[in-house]
Amino acid sequence: MEVETPVSSDEAESGVSTPVGTRRSFFARVTAAISTVIGLSLTIPIVGYVVFPAFQRKKQEWVPIAKIDDLPVEQPKALDYTVAEKDGWLETKATKGIWAIKHSNDEVTVFSPICPHLGCGYKWDGQDRLFKCPCHGSVYNLKGVVQAGPAPRPLDTLPVKVENGELLVIYKEFKSGLADQTEI
Amino acid sequence: MLAPLYDWVDERLKLKPIEQTLLDEPIPGGASWNYVFGSATLFLFVLQAITGMCLSIYYVPSPDHAYDTVQYIENEVWFGWFIRGLHHWGASAVIMAVGLHMLQVFFDGAYKRPREMMWMVGVVLLLLMLGFGFTGYLLPWDQNAYWATQVGINMAGTTPIIGDFIVRLMRGGETLGALTLSRFFAIHVMILPAIMMVGVMLHIFILRRVGPAGPHDKAQAMQGSETFYPRQVYMDAVVMLFVFCILAVLAYTVQFPLADKADPSDHSFIPVPEWYFLFHYQLLKWAPGPLVGYASWALPAAFIFCLFALPFLDRNTERVPSSRPMVMAGGMAFLVTMFVLLGISLRDLYAVPRTDPVIAKGEALVQKFACKTCHRIHGDGANVAPDLSYVADRHPEREWHIRHFKDPQSVSPGSFMPKFPLSDTQLNNLTSYVLTLKSGKH
Repeated sequence: MEVETPVSSDEAESGVSTPVGTRRSFFARVTAAISTVIGLSLTIPIVGYVVFPAFQRKKQEWVPIAKIDDLPVEQPKALDYTVAEKDGWLETKATKGIWAIKHSNDEVTVFSPICPHLGCGYKWDGQDRLFKCPCHGSVYNLKGVVQAGPAPRPLDTLPVKVENGELLVIYKEFKSGLADQTEI
Repeated sequence: MLAPLYDWVDERLKLKPIEQTLLDEPIPGGASWNYVFGSATLFLFVLQAITGMCLSIYYVPSPDHAYDTVQYIENEVWFGWFIRGLHHWGASAVIMAVGLHMLQVFFDGAYKRPREMMWMVGVVLLLLMLGFGFTGYLLPWDQNAYWATQVGINMAGTTPIIGDFIVRLMRGGETLGALTLSRFFAIHVMILPAIMMVGVMLHIFILRRVGPAGPHDKAQAMQGSETFYPRQVYMDAVVMLFVFCILAVLAYTVQFPLADKADPSDHSFIPVPEWYFLFHYQLLKWAPGPLVGYASWALPAAFIFCLFALPFLDRNTERVPSSRPMVMAGGMAFLVTMFVLLGISLRDLYAVPRTDPVIAKGEALVQKFACKTCHRIHGDGANVAPDLSYVADRHPEREWHIRHFKDPQSVSPGSFMPKFPLSDTQLNNLTSYVLTLKSGKH
């Protein structure tokens, strides 16, 4: 423990002197307390400010992409999916191509345009009535089931719903090359 | 907990002597609240550096994106409004702290031999600080930033012979645009901070070599001295906390929204410079035509020269203010002139309410659609439909007004207000105007 050094009467009269003992530790403690208060009041907002983007998830919204009446039955149709993507403060319009197959007026299957094997874009072969990937030869039928080639899983389907005669889709991407569907 | 760690490092790096040099500096006449301004300035500068670094995480210095990124910081990033608020108010605070620091040194005659160099470096630091203010003002790229910078640059253009070149140099070409913004950004965040750091180190180095001036009163100075730590450090800390609290409260309570995005074609916008340039701005209004040039460059140049050379212009070694009547009168005359000009300028600014062009356009729509056929606004108009004088008090949200204008009955069932054919821009202008209709605003 610090002991207060008695100040001689001489010194007290002659004016200023450096504080000692408990007076000294009082000033030290107040200074430390103030540093802590200012430090924390700055650190907390700054940490929040810096980590903010790490906690942001892309919002997935239903986007209308076609009138249900315009789609042929049991015939795949390539459609454009246009969505305003927000990348921080940057807003851009992105367009992705998707495959839609109408079974009835309220039942539609929509496939992601990316081959689940290694991520190429596959095509529809109207003669063979099969989806064929030109990169490594994966082949899928109308239901997306693998018919041939190295693909580890069926084509990825996207969430879909029909409202007021319009087809609405949420676009998602999945990891390629895995037997299980894993969203990116 | 930290003591053993400190001892471990100290054993190897021998920190104790440095600690003693830093903390045991003798303060002649003892610690005093008079000496806190320098530390407060340094604290604010460091705070500006920290908040500035944070802002640069999301800010992009391009006319395409600058405005959007500042909006993003202000409205979306967690605590973005707080960090930006601290930086905004901190900029004013640092200028005030510098002003008070200089006044104290001036009043105390502390710039005199042997401390001439400390004063001169200090004047350079003041100019750098104003440079920070000027370059930082452009960065948000809103109307105010754009047009105030336009005026500032044109002022430099009145310098004889090299004026035109200076303007091109500052703009980075013919017009204020992308190149101006990127060079102002580079100056604000790279060049000035680097020079500033060297300047601050030099300022403090000179202080430590020459030592603090102490009180001008001889009897007080004779009373001996005490060390910098702990009492002066404690006083500095208390003032830093006080300043920090003011800034935090301002950042929290006074939002500082951007004006519209910079529009080089909109010449109707009246810019306002930062308050610390206002007194000079006011002076320019009075300078008759042929003298504008002198008022905008010669006067500041002469003033800065006098300030810089002050220790040599005032060779009287006496520090007591009452024994230096001429210098004190000169300083007082400058202060009175500056504050009178600032006062007049502020009064004029608030006498003429500055309207955002969006609001003015909205007000014009009220006339166009003859809203006052039914509504009354501040005593003008019929009293058939609700009085709108303070409608923003009842409905402060923009969203409500937009829905109401689109379909009055959807938010106000039974209303007989018709739907007006408003475009999105008109809708925005009109709501901007309507939102100004609140109490406490005249």
